[in-house]
Amino acid sequence: MSKDRSLEIVGVSKRFGDTVALRDLSFDVRAGELFGFVGRNGAGKTTTMRIVLGVLGADAGEVRWDGAPLDFAARQHIGYMPEERGLYPKMRLAEQLAYLGELHGMADSEARVSALRWLDRFGLKDRGTDDLQALSLGNQQRVQLAAALVFGPDVLVLDEPFAGLDPVAVDVMGAVLREQADAGLPVIFSSHELELVERLCDRVGIIDNGKMVAIGTVAELRAGGREFLWIDVPAAPDGWDPGVPGARLLETDGSRLLFELDPGIDGQALLHAALATGPVLEFGRVEPSLGEIFRTVIEEAAS
Amino acid sequence: MNQNRHGRPAVFLVARREVRMRLRSRVFVGGTIVMAALVVVGIVAASLLAGKTNPVRVGFSGGSQALEHSFTETAAALGAKVTVSDIADVTAGKAQVAAGTLDVLVIGSATAPTAVAKEAMPSNVESALSLAAEATRLSDAGLSPAAVTSAMALVPVQLLAPPNPKDNENLFASLALGILLWIALGQYGNMVAQSVVEEKATRIMEVLLATIQPSRLLAGKVIGIGLVGLLQLTIVGAAALVAVHVTNVAAIPAFGVASILSDIFWFLLGFLFYATAYAAVASLVSRQEEVQSAVAPISIFQIAGYLLMYAALPNPSGPVATVCSLLPPFAPILMAVRMADSDVPFWQVGLAVALIVASIVGLTWLAGRMYTNAAMRIGARVRFMDAFRGKASS
Repeated sequence: MSKDRSLEIVGVSKRFGDTVALRDLSFDVRAGELFGFVGRNGAGKTTTMRIVLGVLGADAGEVRWDGAPLDFAARQHIGYMPEERGLYPKMRLAEQLAYLGELHGMADSEARVSALRWLDRFGLKDRGTDDLQALSLGNQQRVQLAAALVFGPDVLVLDEPFAGLDPVAVDVMGAVLREQADAGLPVIFSSHELELVERLCDRVGIIDNGKMVAIGTVAELRAGGREFLWIDVPAAPDGWDPGVPGARLLETDGSRLLFELDPGIDGQALLHAALATGPVLEFGRVEPSLGEIFRTVIEEAAS
Repeated sequence: MNQNRHGRPAVFLVARREVRMRLRSRVFVGGTIVMAALVVVGIVAASLLAGKTNPVRVGFSGGSQALEHSFTETAAALGAKVTVSDIADVTAGKAQVAAGTLDVLVIGSATAPTAVAKEAMPSNVESALSLAAEATRLSDAGLSPAAVTSAMALVPVQLLAPPNPKDNENLFASLALGILLWIALGQYGNMVAQSVVEEKATRIMEVLLATIQPSRLLAGKVIGIGLVGLLQLTIVGAAALVAVHVTNVAAIPAFGVASILSDIFWFLLGFLFYATAYAAVASLVSRQEEVQSAVAPISIFQIAGYLLMYAALPNPSGPVATVCSLLPPFAPILMAVRMADSDVPFWQVGLAVALIVASIVGLTWLAGRMYTNAAMRIGARVRFMDAFRGKASS
């Protein structure tokens, strides 16, 4: 419970009828950090975000901001982009953004200036007087992000901000999120695009079945997991067993073999065993992608 | 953090948005023009109807002209509106009667006059003429004027339950105002319902509820649309006043200032009552197509109020009208109509206001609760009891 402008989710549980959506979920998003929130469909990402925003009430636990429970007044300073996009289709862009800015507590003129600034930033400067429904879906999504940013939030909570964007828009969106985090905001977003999360995020949280099953930097997640090694041993007999405890053969690709090592197992023992069969053409560690880490973590959580 | 809000209160912002968006819409502009046109047409029609009771034009020729004075007095005593004129030429007078520029031509002597009319002779005019001729005959027979007067004295009539001094024209005017109120309440109530569903259907509800409490969103909506309604009624009312001035039906009490103020008062109470109810039920559905069926139970009360208005008007102080005009769903129309058409005891007005204000307070609580519980549930229609209890669903 630190007073450092971080967002803390503390022991939050939520149940919908017989379905348990969140079980005693705890994690934090620190100031200046871009936090990727990943998990399968129905794992609890959207429910968590809705509880942070107070749109949904938690059965137990609390959300804290800057060391204090997040109350209605403090929630005014969260920029939110819901999974179900929502704005007024028949309202002019500039007016709509200014309205949302004012609802978040901005003064009239301040809100109008900010609305125009964000439209400019997203290349929609000339469309301020257009109705939202006149825009393409990609542009509507940009406006939705502008709606979360227009009032100068202290925290950003974005549910699937990259879904449905073209590659250029993904870059713009990514740059804006990075910039907001660099300005000192805690930024949390959910996504199924794990490569993007790996590339952008400072830390990643993997949620499954309403529980946080792994959290940390991608490097930390790798370190906490197993090591993967490719060995090319052309002279080894079929079904060769290196006889190293904690090393498991995962894949065979001709004479190339992929081993998975349990945490703490030294790869050098495997190399010695390989050299005993004859020449070793390749011996290398594989950096697992976030996708591979994700699958492993989810499998482990299931077992 | 908790920086101070620089901006205006959320209720104000929501209300302002509703007002701006609606004033800009073609539906509002067109609707206002149509309503104003209908009201003006109604007033002009009422003035034409009132024209049917123009005084009967009676022309006297020759010796009968001596009857003019006593005829006018007798006609007034009998309650007939007449104007009299001298006709020099009988043939020309008959031509005037045939052409419709004169209603009755009296020819012959003062003691034995003959009346010429086109299709029918108004009976009270006929009586007044007969009495005037009879008085002349009695006077000619030598009776003193005082004796004639006493001989001709009308039988005094005592009415145990005298009719209301406000007349028939007022009944129509009250009815017109009642219909206008009814249309306005239905129209603006539906506007609130549509607006609530729009926010659910377009999913902006989730963005809004992250920054504003449902009860304030509801209040802002009702206030904003109420103001728009009031503005529209003011425009229509102004058009009506101009029409009243031009057509000279200003004598009709239901078109007077006090009556119009009382109508605005009842419109506001009725609007708050129905708008809150409409908002509550509309929050149960997620699609525009479902709004009509959702608000149907409330529309039934409104239609009942409309039908009761016809039942109540002929006897505005009768038991049916009195009881129904006290009940909150009907009071905005029935009490307004009764007040326009007759003098309603003060305690009845006070009781009706107290009851509807209490209902509005109760409805606001209920609507806020339903709105909060149902607002975030997009998709299938929410059952009333679930919204009331706030039962969770996935």
